[in-house]
Amino acid sequence: MEDDSGGLSSMKFFSDQNTSYADILPPHEARARIEVSVLNLLRALKSPDPSISDLSLINRKRSNSCVNQGVLTDVSYVFLSSSFTKSSLTNAKTAKAFVRVWKVMEMCFQILLQEKRVTQRELFYKLLCDSPDLFSSQIEVNRSVQDVVALLRCSRYSLGIMASTRGLVAGRLSLQQEPGKEPVDCSACGSSGFAISGDLNLLDNTIMTSDARYIILVEKHAIFHRLVEDRVFNHIPCVFITAKGYPDIATRFFLHRISKTFPDLPILALVDWNPAGLAILCTFKFGSIGMGLEAYRYACNVKWIGLRGDDLSLIPEESLVPLKAKDSQIAKSLLSSKILQENYREELSLMVETGKRAEIEALYCHGYNYLGKYIATKIVQGKYI
Amino acid sequence: MILPSHLFRVISLSLLLYRKLNLSSSLNWYDLSTVADTGIGSNLGEFQDLRCPRELNGAKIWVAGFSDDEVFCYHINLDEYISNKRIKRQPSQPKSGANFSGTEVSLSVSGSMDLLVPPIITFFQKVCLLFRILNVTMDLMVKPGASPGIQTQYVFVVNADETPCFTASNLQQLTSGLKDYVLRHGNCLDMMCDHCFSDREHLKVGSVTACHDENRKRPGGTMEVVIVISDLLETTRQCSRSRDGKTEVLYFDNFSPSPIPQVALSALQKIDWKSYGLILASVNEQDGHVFLEWENFPSYVQIHIALHWYHNKYPTRQKTEPGINLVKNGIKSALDNLKAKHEGFLLSSHARKICSYVPDLARSLAGLIFSSTDIDFQGDCLSVLGFQPQEVEREAVEDYIQRKIVAVIGMNESKTQKDQEAAPFLFFEGESETSYFEDEEIEGEYYPSSLE
Repeated sequence: MEDDSGGLSSMKFFSDQNTSYADILPPHEARARIEVSVLNLLRALKSPDPSISDLSLINRKRSNSCVNQGVLTDVSYVFLSSSFTKSSLTNAKTAKAFVRVWKVMEMCFQILLQEKRVTQRELFYKLLCDSPDLFSSQIEVNRSVQDVVALLRCSRYSLGIMASTRGLVAGRLSLQQEPGKEPVDCSACGSSGFAISGDLNLLDNTIMTSDARYIILVEKHAIFHRLVEDRVFNHIPCVFITAKGYPDIATRFFLHRISKTFPDLPILALVDWNPAGLAILCTFKFGSIGMGLEAYRYACNVKWIGLRGDDLSLIPEESLVPLKAKDSQIAKSLLSSKILQENYREELSLMVETGKRAEIEALYCHGYNYLGKYIATKIVQGKYI
Repeated sequence: MILPSHLFRVISLSLLLYRKLNLSSSLNWYDLSTVADTGIGSNLGEFQDLRCPRELNGAKIWVAGFSDDEVFCYHINLDEYISNKRIKRQPSQPKSGANFSGTEVSLSVSGSMDLLVPPIITFFQKVCLLFRILNVTMDLMVKPGASPGIQTQYVFVVNADETPCFTASNLQQLTSGLKDYVLRHGNCLDMMCDHCFSDREHLKVGSVTACHDENRKRPGGTMEVVIVISDLLETTRQCSRSRDGKTEVLYFDNFSPSPIPQVALSALQKIDWKSYGLILASVNEQDGHVFLEWENFPSYVQIHIALHWYHNKYPTRQKTEPGINLVKNGIKSALDNLKAKHEGFLLSSHARKICSYVPDLARSLAGLIFSSTDIDFQGDCLSVLGFQPQEVEREAVEDYIQRKIVAVIGMNESKTQKDQEAAPFLFFEGESETSYFEDEEIEGEYYPSSLE
């Protein structure tokens, strides 16, 4: 990986000292942190100069994000530094968010006591029943969960929240999730593949065996489905993984696990030629700011195989459609990111200048089997960046 | 005002109003006579400036001090404005060995009974408030004629339960008086209204004394402000007292009821009521009573305000008024005093909004304490809060936490901007603080969608 961060190069070795990260804790330790926070609040409330403690949450915004350019490894990632935001009960703007944090802590505390794991969706419904005035949408729940992560500095999983089961895997991979059980053959799972569990602990302990030569990340479910149905993983010995859109933490975790288990396998991403597709690739590659306290751990050296600017000659003119407003927003955000490498920038700039985007499905004009050939050709020619 | 020590005796002031028949005139004449055992014997000079409506014919006064051997009698010609001709000395009467002091004033008045009686009643209602200082009970007897017939008696009695001791300050006396006034619905009842108040604790009081020091421009004066909020039971409908939520402002000048001066009206309008969660709709004067009307005010709450201005040196000829700032600051301080003493009252709408979230917060905190399996943690929490770990109910703890948080929010409001310190952080000190967390889409996320 070319080092193009210029003047910041000397800071690289020291940047880790300012990393804010979330610990992965066993349940009793996570509960202990929650208990400490309760005691601290009560003490402040009963002190001679009583007050309601403010919550200092690590700032999950661009302004607090830093880049670690991989020096010894070829993995770069985004992480969060030590800037905080203050959430206070006495400020009308933050009062509701403040109370939400405590509500979520209470729920997580009980989940941990019962030694269960719940998804964010289940948590949302529980909170909706318990406090409908405080939580009216999934987004609010998710944000409050991230606040608790930022406050207690422990991973979401440590709080008993399981990622949802969104990702799928198929191909030349065998997974033994529990000792004594039959390993799952991911090439024999039918065209829908095998669902990646949301239980990070389980994923961590899964025994993997594979004779694949490549790991291919697929943005869209439909493409994944087509490739698996045509058993492309037998023509090109590979493992297909999809998160069905924006990557969730479980799929990222899984990818990271595979890449650690099989470090020689290149990871290739097949995304649409649009800013959103590139954003998905970057999230697998660098992590995200939203979950910046945890996501940096699962960054992988992902390479962009397609759809790219030089493939545009392969697709008909008609399949190039104008960029939407949302696409432009994402492009702007990506272009201003410190971490984006030059060749990715060029691709983005091309999209923005032409104002066009294209989907992978455009390749079907050459036939439904074309996709497999396309991937094979690109691999053989080493055309991935 | 330094009062003589023997004022702890209960004093009675009776006002006898009876109609004298005057066949030659269509007007009815009434004699008002007062008997006062004040222990002082008024200073004649106090009557020099007596100004009365035209209906008053003249005034007869007798005055006797303790040490005097005789009772002095005077006649005041109210139409006479030349001061040395106004008061005419009459022949004295002997005391005949009796040992008393006092003042009796008889006034001749013309007018209709129905028009005369109500203002007198109102006057005494207010005076009763203040005359608690002198431990006075008053009764008003209205007789339609010289012969015995139907007579009506109004009694204004000081409530014996909570009469402050004679050494209580003027402010304490005024406070006690206003509380009684409220409990007895403006002194219309003899006793505390049972329908509305199960006990005196329903009253929340804030009070303050503010002084002007003497300077060249005016003599020193003291402003006392008492504010009483009654939180009436919502369920009581038996009481016929009107519940229009209007606030009556009682004004006293030098220990007697007085119409409210313009300076006080202006001060009332200048108060920043919004910071106490109130929206002033209007200030109305009606038959000498001043009412404040509020917007969106709950009907089961009432606010009562009493203002008392008196000179630091008494008596004084000078008629002075408090400065507008003194009145304004006095009222504001009394409001702050009430707010500080009673959590949850007079919170600004900003604070009330925050307080609406507090029950949920208290519930979560109590939930965390009681669902923990760590006995030490539970014990620590309960002892910090001041509970005995053995017999404690979760509801009691939750309730306590809620009240404490509301109290802190109220206290925070009372502090001025510069006194407000940032609250300590729960764990870590923020090294470089940024602005408050904004409840909006997280910036910088490449692809803003759900973070699953």
